[in-house]
Amino acid sequence: MRYTRPADVDGVTAALADGDAVVVGGGTMVVPEMTHGRVRPSAVVDLAKAGLAGIARDGDGWVIGAMTTYTELARSNVPLLATAARGITGGPQIRNRGTVGGSASYANPSSDVPAVLVALGARMRLARRGGAREVPAAEFFAGAFRTAREPDEVLTAITVPDTAAAPGYVKFKLVEGSWPIVTAAALAGPTIRVVLGGAAAAPVVVELERASWRARLRSEVDRLLTEPWDDVLAPGHYRARIAPVIAARAVAGALEEA
Amino acid sequence: MAALPARVGIGSSPRKRDGAALLTGRALFLDDHRPEGLLHAVVVRSEVAHGRIRAIDTAAAAAAPGVALVLTGAEAAKHAGPVPYFIDPAARGGNRTDIRCLQVDKVVHVGQPVAAVVAASRHEAQAAADLVRITYDVLPHVLDARAAMAQDAPRLYEDWPGNVVAHNRYGSGDPDAALAAADVVVEGELRIARTTTAPIEPRGYLASWQGDRLTVHASCQNPHQLRWMLSVSLGVDESRIRIVTAKVGGSFGLKMQGHPEETLVALLSLLADAPVKWVEDRRETLMAGAREQVHRFRVGATSDGRITGLVNEIVADIGALTAQAGWAMPNMSATTQPSGYAVQDVRVELDIVCTNKPPCNAARGFGKDAAHFVMERAVDLVARELGMDPAEVRRRNFVREFPYRTATGLNIDSGDFDGLLDKTLDAVDYAGIRRGQAESRERGRYLGVGLGFELTPESSDSPGTFVSGFDTTTVRMSVTGMVTVLTGVTSPGGGNDTGIAQIVATELGVPIEWVELVQGDTDRCPNGFGNFSGRSMVVGGGSATLAARDVRAKLLAVAARLFETSEVDIRDGIASGGGRELPVPEVARALLTRAFAIGDIEPVLESTRAYKPGNINHVPDELGRIQPYPTYSSSLHAAVVEVDAETGKVTLADYVMTHDCGTMINPALVEGQARGAVTMGLGSALSEQLVFAADGSLASNRFKSYLLPRAGDIPLLRMIHQVTPSPFAMHGNKGAGEAGVGGAQAAVANAVEDALAPFGVTVRGVPLSPPNVLALIDEARP
Ligand SMILES: Cc1cc2nc3c(=O)[nH]c(=O)nc-3n(C[C@H](O)[C@H](O)[C@H](O)COP(=O)(O)OP(=O)(O)OC[C@H]3O[C@@H](n4cnc5c(N)ncnc54)[C@H](O)[C@@H]3O)c2cc1C
Repeated sequence: MRYTRPADVDGVTAALADGDAVVVGGGTMVVPEMTHGRVRPSAVVDLAKAGLAGIARDGDGWVIGAMTTYTELARSNVPLLATAARGITGGPQIRNRGTVGGSASYANPSSDVPAVLVALGARMRLARRGGAREVPAAEFFAGAFRTAREPDEVLTAITVPDTAAAPGYVKFKLVEGSWPIVTAAALAGPTIRVVLGGAAAAPVVVELERASWRARLRSEVDRLLTEPWDDVLAPGHYRARIAPVIAARAVAGALEEA
Repeated sequence: MAALPARVGIGSSPRKRDGAALLTGRALFLDDHRPEGLLHAVVVRSEVAHGRIRAIDTAAAAAAPGVALVLTGAEAAKHAGPVPYFIDPAARGGNRTDIRCLQVDKVVHVGQPVAAVVAASRHEAQAAADLVRITYDVLPHVLDARAAMAQDAPRLYEDWPGNVVAHNRYGSGDPDAALAAADVVVEGELRIARTTTAPIEPRGYLASWQGDRLTVHASCQNPHQLRWMLSVSLGVDESRIRIVTAKVGGSFGLKMQGHPEETLVALLSLLADAPVKWVEDRRETLMAGAREQVHRFRVGATSDGRITGLVNEIVADIGALTAQAGWAMPNMSATTQPSGYAVQDVRVELDIVCTNKPPCNAARGFGKDAAHFVMERAVDLVARELGMDPAEVRRRNFVREFPYRTATGLNIDSGDFDGLLDKTLDAVDYAGIRRGQAESRERGRYLGVGLGFELTPESSDSPGTFVSGFDTTTVRMSVTGMVTVLTGVTSPGGGNDTGIAQIVATELGVPIEWVELVQGDTDRCPNGFGNFSGRSMVVGGGSATLAARDVRAKLLAVAARLFETSEVDIRDGIASGGGRELPVPEVARALLTRAFAIGDIEPVLESTRAYKPGNINHVPDELGRIQPYPTYSSSLHAAVVEVDAETGKVTLADYVMTHDCGTMINPALVEGQARGAVTMGLGSALSEQLVFAADGSLASNRFKSYLLPRAGDIPLLRMIHQVTPSPFAMHGNKGAGEAGVGGAQAAVANAVEDALAPFGVTVRGVPLSPPNVLALIDEARP
């Protein structure tokens, strides 16, 4: 197994060029998977020194480095993302190591970050040797544990536009230790957008009018959530059942309606 | 000036003796032992739930880097016999099968040991284990106990008439007549899902041979029984086997012996001619079942709430049969009914059934938890049927005169159940909750309160087995006055070493710092039985008391000789009499160095004593019932919950346990145990469940899918004590440590049903996870 820890993005993309390497961000998911032999890569590219951490302002938005940890996000004032980061479980060990880019690239349906990025209208910056591209978050999350990233690409940063809309975030878990079962990230502006995480393989976007959101929410969720996510923690029909409830709580939170 | 002696007497809470070592990471556990030349074992486990082993190809594994040995079942059977049972089902009229350290012909559950690899590192052993190729003729399997009882169900053990290990019937009187005559009869069902104990330290063994002598370091509860067991399975005389169990990181019954790996690791070490260690990984630990039962019951009552009869049919799914004690737990689920309620017309029918799942191993509560759970559900259902308050129905049925012979033949030593109820209702503000309930329901909030009463028989004795109701302790004072206590009981983390040291220090009249405890070493400790059934402080403490009193009597005799008076005393390490004082070490030195000058006092400052508590009676009565428990702890639990009716999520708002384990030797340790047991019950009530895929593999094989409660899920567990001493135990203390599992399950289940009363929900099982609770609400909705 080849191990490299490049000092910059060019080094990373060069190491990834063969398409057979596994990227290690914070390593909170991928290192245990390698330890247990579920992932057996021929090469490992460690992003620790590639200079991809940190949050910066850029025009009318934020640029969040892929290696930014939950701890850094929690201290920031990026809407929704900061709130979600504060609710990550696993203690300081996970919050100090787990990264936003790692979570996005892992694309676990039962996680916080994907739906939040979709709600924010974030764009994912991908780099490969000799090139770069940007993909809207809504397209990036292609399915359960699947993204638009190609094996020779690295996620370098995530851009998040400013928003005047009011944020609301609700995460529903069975108990402290469970993965999120359903999350809802809401932004209430002239119209309301609420994005469901955990409910399906990829985030589900629900758009609503302010005047009619309560009346329309359940039928919209039912219409859009045709294939709910099903796992050992909760069956699909349960997720479908509570998704409108959690969405409504997030919207009510955004609108500061009790 | 000497510091004032710390309060160490019986009833005070000096710190846990090993607390500092544990907190600072200096305590040594099994995996910390790394002798020179150590090799590591990995067990190759069945990937099918039921199948005949056709071929095992070990060539690639044997050729892998670092590999010293690959062992199959056929080869192992040439060197080791079957693992003897802790409790043999045949001796109880049931079916048995030979339990092997590695399966030879057939596997009956996913995860059953089939082969083993020994290599220079654990990593190499694992890599080689992945190369072992096993071919099976896959057989149909059955994962549900009811289905397993069908005539045409797949048979785990082909020479049995079915999959039932044993069918037993318990009780007395004429319950059918009682139900026919009752004013009301309620029926109920209770499904208790399979959970596991999940100690922080998994099981592990390290075996090494010095010539023909075997030493096994083990993370286990019962070193002497393990020694016997290995002596039988390996055909080695006990005198050549030494078991050492030092620190154990939690056990809860799981580490009682009878596991195939115990014999296996000793055999691997023999064949590899090197020390061999095996430590479970978490996925292996999570395979161990703790409980899984279905109860169908009918209970009759008078219109004023007196329960007159009970019929309960239990189907207990124990998975595959094991030599461990776990298969026998459901017997206690039956015999512990009807708990501390005065009901004499009772019939409990029990089927202990095998399925193609991993075995149930012994687990805190040892089946008694299920008896409490089902009785507390029955009482609540009666209350509901009669429109009475559940607290009142309990009060109408409590046993009040002791000793009391129950319908299943247990003899309850003592108790004050009304006192428990009063204290609990008061502490939880039961009346206030009831008042606030109506109002919060109007605001769409579903608050509920539930009660759970427990009567916990402890320190059991089973004749002819190594489930022993007595134990043995040596107290030895050296020439320097320092005291060594060697005892047959072990401490898997609960802290009985501290309690025993308190007793010995108090009895002798010396500072606790002078007292050293030795446990868990079969070469050093007297014959004993380790830890189970809340016995350690009753019989370990009792035998230590007797031995300490002998030593004290000897010291007093010497002091009397030295002071030339019969009025002598020993306190705080000082002997006094006739206006003179002498430190105890000098008294000891006098006897042991001037034996001839002192005269006719035998110069031994050592005593080994066994303690047999009272109340055990193995002579069957006219109904064939025996009485295997000296003491009966009791407790009353109240849980306050809020249920989110839109998601089904249950939040614990408050929890009170009033506990009566008689005299408390060390209240802090009692509370620590009780909190742990309650938390175990709360986990099983709300979130824990071992889930199996259709193919019989374990789907919940990590802590992200097997949901133990965390600190944030549990409110402050408020503890109240009541002390009703046992007349049958040395200090009046009763077993502590098991009580809490069933009470917690029941209190939560009753509270959830109470919270959702506006929907008319009936709880029929646990865990009451959000999906399950929402399903209950849906089902009750018109
Ligand atoms: C105890 C515990 C609690 C947790 N609690 C939560 C929780 O409450 N909510 C939640 O959502 N998640 C939770 N997680 C999961 C957590 O989100 C992820 O562990 C973390 O965010 C992943 O980030 P990482 O940098 O550690 O990823 P890694 O483990 O390093 O990588 C994850 C995957 O992404 C790939 N990858 C990583 N970075 C990049 C990159 N820049 N470009 C391309 N590919 C990349 C890796 O190859 C790998 O496939 C928890 C995990 C644990 C262990």
